[in-house]
Amino acid sequence: MLIREDILTPKERMMALLTGKPLDRIICMPIVTTNTAQLIGKTVKEFQLDGKVMADAHIAGFKKFGYDLIYLFTNCSCIAEAMGAELVYSENEPAGCDVPVINSREDLSKIKVAEKNDGQLPVYYDALEILNKEVGDQVFIAVCFSGPVSTAATLRGVEAFAKDTYADPELCHTLLRMATDSCKNFIREIVSYGAMPIILEPIASGSIFSPKMFDKIAFPYIKELVDLAHELKALIPLHICGKTHKIIDKMTDTGADVISIDQCDLAIAREKVAGRALILGNIDPANELLFGPVEDIHKVCIEAIDTMKGYTPAFVLATGCETSNKVPMEHIQAMLDVARSHGLYEYTAEETK
Amino acid sequence: MDKETLFREISHALVEFEVEKVAELAQETLRQNISAYETITEGLVTGMKEVGRLYEEEEYFLPEVLMCSDAFNAGLDVVNPHLDKDSLEKPIKMVIGVVEGDTHDIGKNLVRILSGASGFEVYDLGRDVPLDRFIEKAEEVGSDMICMSTLMTTTMDGMKIVINRLKERNLRDKYKVLIGGGPISQTFCDKIGADLYANDASSAVRKAKELMGRA
Repeated sequence: MLIREDILTPKERMMALLTGKPLDRIICMPIVTTNTAQLIGKTVKEFQLDGKVMADAHIAGFKKFGYDLIYLFTNCSCIAEAMGAELVYSENEPAGCDVPVINSREDLSKIKVAEKNDGQLPVYYDALEILNKEVGDQVFIAVCFSGPVSTAATLRGVEAFAKDTYADPELCHTLLRMATDSCKNFIREIVSYGAMPIILEPIASGSIFSPKMFDKIAFPYIKELVDLAHELKALIPLHICGKTHKIIDKMTDTGADVISIDQCDLAIAREKVAGRALILGNIDPANELLFGPVEDIHKVCIEAIDTMKGYTPAFVLATGCETSNKVPMEHIQAMLDVARSHGLYEYTAEETK
Repeated sequence: MDKETLFREISHALVEFEVEKVAELAQETLRQNISAYETITEGLVTGMKEVGRLYEEEEYFLPEVLMCSDAFNAGLDVVNPHLDKDSLEKPIKMVIGVVEGDTHDIGKNLVRILSGASGFEVYDLGRDVPLDRFIEKAEEVGSDMICMSTLMTTTMDGMKIVINRLKERNLRDKYKVLIGGGPISQTFCDKIGADLYANDASSAVRKAKELMGRA
């Protein structure tokens, strides 16, 4: 495999895309997050609680791979935590919420709409300040956080929340309203640092809710976040884990600029998103990328690129979900190697002029 | 209302998750001296079978299955005290849990609900289950199957460890091992030598029955 060194920096490449100029290669954004902690000998726990550790880990990851986006992410419950949920932190796993804070309507008094400095949200701002200074001229930085449905479900417990959608829709929507307002406060702050907010909705997945329910509990609230980001002149991707083949058109209808997918056939995505947004995905982080060998990773990445060949505005080669601590670093490198060989575009320096 | 109509109504109300109606209809079967066994198998289980089908066909999702499960249990609560236990077929016993290090238990709970509703005897170990616990419990209750679930790539290896420990203890052939969860695939199933992989809760139950020759 003949690998060509990058001609543009990741930031130049993204700017070229956004301004309709030629690119030197396909954009490649493997979802590398907390697993960068191991590059600097720190634990996931330290990464989640200390902005300096988060920034240093990401700088190490970026220097190693030169991918096109830095994804700041700690866990799926950080907005819920900022609203009043208690999380359990363990050394090398993302923190999670074991006991839901809302067990009845009376418990609503235990939570509030999160303000920008609640919970561990400031950890992100500390990291953003350092990253902006150290690598901000070379690469864009994004912050991933759980959207309204996933946050409300964390506060209430996923199964109780799922039942509420029929048994107590009012409670359901009260939680969704508060979660949406909390996300909006966080988005404003993220954007003020020049970073891109990424909505994660693992619980709004087509593996858990019907498309009809997606319309009721997810679509209007997600759209509100998208509209806010656009008001603030920011781009905003939407990532949903699991199956999305039946909701990918609705995901696109929210107006999100990037549709980030996991278990969805790329050909279906291509047809349904139909040029209305970038498509980002969807190399399975639990299959070839986890087990290798490198040749198989090359093969699936090449297949994805070929399926999406000619898709505009652009297909971004990425993983379908976060790469875990167990994914070997050489396997992430294998993805970037494909971008720098099979994913090359014809490019001469003069073209930029 | 004759018996067949009554069973049909029960199934229908269950699928529409009308909890109170299912309970009322179950009361009606008692008034008519219909055997609890028949009400369960012909009315309630038939309803849940339809729920499983709707789930597999992506018509029903988590909320609908949970609501139907409540309706199923409401009916069961009414007739269960009148059930002649001797009339039951020997159930398939299943030990189920989310492997150590992971607390995501939605998929596991769906398998528990649907397998329980199709006559399995289910021992639910919960989530974040120490690996040896699967084997201990299976041995203790004389289980037919060990079912493990995980949503995280970091904990998948636990399934392999359980299988290896079964081998070390010469127990591998005693149990069918079923695995599932977000990152699990047929490839992984083959790799670690599990007996069965299913990609959703309903097909898990269907395939488990086939594997046990109860299809």
